[in-house]
Amino acid sequence: MTFDWSVVWQHRDALMAATGTTILLTFATMAIAVPCGIMVAALRLYAWKPVRALATSYVELFRNLPLILVVYWAFYVLPIMTGLGLSPLATGLAALVLNVTAYNAETFRAGINSIRRGQVEAAMALGMSRLQALRRVVLPQALRRIMPVLASTWVSLFKDTSLVSVIAVTELAYVAMQIRAQTFRVLEMLTAMAAIYWLLGYPQAKLVDWMQRRFAVTE
Amino acid sequence: MNKSATQSGRTKAGGITIIRYRGVVKRYGDFQALSGIDLDVHAGEVVCLIGPSGSGKSTLLRCTNGLESIEGGDIEFEGTALPRDERELRAVRTRMGMVFQSFELFPHLTALANVAEGPRTVLRKHAAEANRRASAMLAKVGLADKAPNYPSALSGGQQQRVAIARALAMEPDVMLFDEPTSALDPETIGEVLNVMKQLADEGMTMVVVTHEMTFARRVGDWIAVFDAGRIVEQGPPEQIFDAPTTERTRDFLSHLGWTG
Amino acid sequence: MDFDFSVITDHLSFLGSGIAITLLLSVLSGTTSLIAGFFVALFRLYGPRWLKPLVVLYIDSMRAIPVLVVLVWTFFALPIIAGVTMSPFMAALIGLTVHLAAYAAEIVRAGVESVRPGQSRAALALGMSRAQIVRRIVMPQALVRMLPAFGSLLSITIKDTAIASVIAVLELMRQSETLAGQSFQPIEVFSFAMLVYFLMLFPVTRGVDMFYRRVAHLGRS
Repeated sequence: MTFDWSVVWQHRDALMAATGTTILLTFATMAIAVPCGIMVAALRLYAWKPVRALATSYVELFRNLPLILVVYWAFYVLPIMTGLGLSPLATGLAALVLNVTAYNAETFRAGINSIRRGQVEAAMALGMSRLQALRRVVLPQALRRIMPVLASTWVSLFKDTSLVSVIAVTELAYVAMQIRAQTFRVLEMLTAMAAIYWLLGYPQAKLVDWMQRRFAVTE
Repeated sequence: MNKSATQSGRTKAGGITIIRYRGVVKRYGDFQALSGIDLDVHAGEVVCLIGPSGSGKSTLLRCTNGLESIEGGDIEFEGTALPRDERELRAVRTRMGMVFQSFELFPHLTALANVAEGPRTVLRKHAAEANRRASAMLAKVGLADKAPNYPSALSGGQQQRVAIARALAMEPDVMLFDEPTSALDPETIGEVLNVMKQLADEGMTMVVVTHEMTFARRVGDWIAVFDAGRIVEQGPPEQIFDAPTTERTRDFLSHLGWTG
Repeated sequence: MDFDFSVITDHLSFLGSGIAITLLLSVLSGTTSLIAGFFVALFRLYGPRWLKPLVVLYIDSMRAIPVLVVLVWTFFALPIIAGVTMSPFMAALIGLTVHLAAYAAEIVRAGVESVRPGQSRAALALGMSRAQIVRRIVMPQALVRMLPAFGSLLSITIKDTAIASVIAVLELMRQSETLAGQSFQPIEVFSFAMLVYFLMLFPVTRGVDMFYRRVAHLGRS
């Protein structure tokens, strides 16, 4: 067996650009999915009953679907439903946002619900309004529980961006596999791809561990 | 330590010495938890360790069965120094029963299985024999009807009585009680103390860390008052509670509102 | 828009074989990763000191690398090194196991560490050995505490089998995509696939939660 690792170096520009796309996708998805997640969580907690049920159905459905199916679905079905010709990148982003929003909504809802009723009652006994109690008492405590979960969702999302490669979004997994197909340097390119993901993902995983210790809730 | 100070008024001092502590020192890093403990526990005696929180009473108890190691001094059990070897230490532990402040019943086992666990796993008794013994012990603490219940279905007082039965099922020579009523609701403290009194009346040797001064006064044969890792005074209950000889003891008792 | 679900009924056996493969791969990789993860956790908790950094490196690496990458590497690159050929199904089973065992190991470790030290102390006081304590006192409680996490791991496993479509395992995702492309009726086909996945996943999470609520007290010391 002879391996030619120079193939990785020769394609460094393409790999760098693809890695950039992977990172961009992660940031863009989270930037949209956090506010959307808060909105859906608020709908589930405080909205008019039918709206609440709708929000719950959305969250439960997307938390119980493989993301890759959502990606294919967005690719084939979104253009038909919307009549728009979306780019692969926009399609992939839409699929990721749909998925992560559902997870974030559940994170925010669970975080808020985890604060004991007594805390709201104590705040209202001090004369605070419901909104004041939420803002000044519940949210600061809930945030300690929400942050570590958001962080681990972030790492999952970073890895899940690889799934949009199936609809030809030029992120790291897609580009690496394209180069593999052109050069037939299978082992070299696939190992390089794994190594790049590892280099980026490992510190993130460690950061999540740190956050989980840092924000550990002791009662 | 002269003999008269440790022995005067000691009614059961004629029995053999079950546990002998000499100059016991225990450190946690820089913190000296025990600095030179001398104490004897005789057969059939109830020795109560009292004193403020963090004064070293529970630490001494955990050193007694080797759950904690000591840095200095000696602990002798039935005339032999506590072994360092893990296997020999386990053999010693089977002869000391221990009851914890937080019960520590095994939640995945029924009350009966909790009590039978030691005889089964450690003493290698047959299931039938272990269960028979467990039933007898549960009956002894008045909980025969709770045998099939899981700990989660028992009150605190009932859980602690099961824990006592679990320790008794090993047929120990001595029972170590680590604040057995501190985690209990006031209304269930009595049932646990009654079981302990009954054990004392049957002649069980007991070392009891407690904040229940009435129990110590009525049931204790010998009282050791702890403060900052030392025994500041020891003697029969009449001396400790009615005529304490040290300022520390008087301070401690008056803080508790003890009036005799 | 008109929907014509006859595309589903016409290709029921085609899709059905996909469902069967999905279920088979889920059950197999769920089982193997659970067993492997259990041993990995035991090594991490009680293994020799020199082994622990390696185990931690393995676990954290699997948390850092996408499943897709692990699967693709196992199917295309591993045979080059190992000099063997593997069916897509076999590669998927191996890749999923290697990936998911790391998560299972973390669940086991967290479960074991969550059992209060007082429980071990009580068992020590009875004269039990370390091995007896792990086997008879800590593990049974830890297993109960791990249930909810194992439930979500099983649902993650089912979802991850869909990624095996990338290495041409003919499971539900792959079959659906093929049919959607050939029939030009992606809405019907993907709606069906979504329904099937939801029906597989939702009862798993709910069922485990319900079962857990009934036995939770056995792990609560």
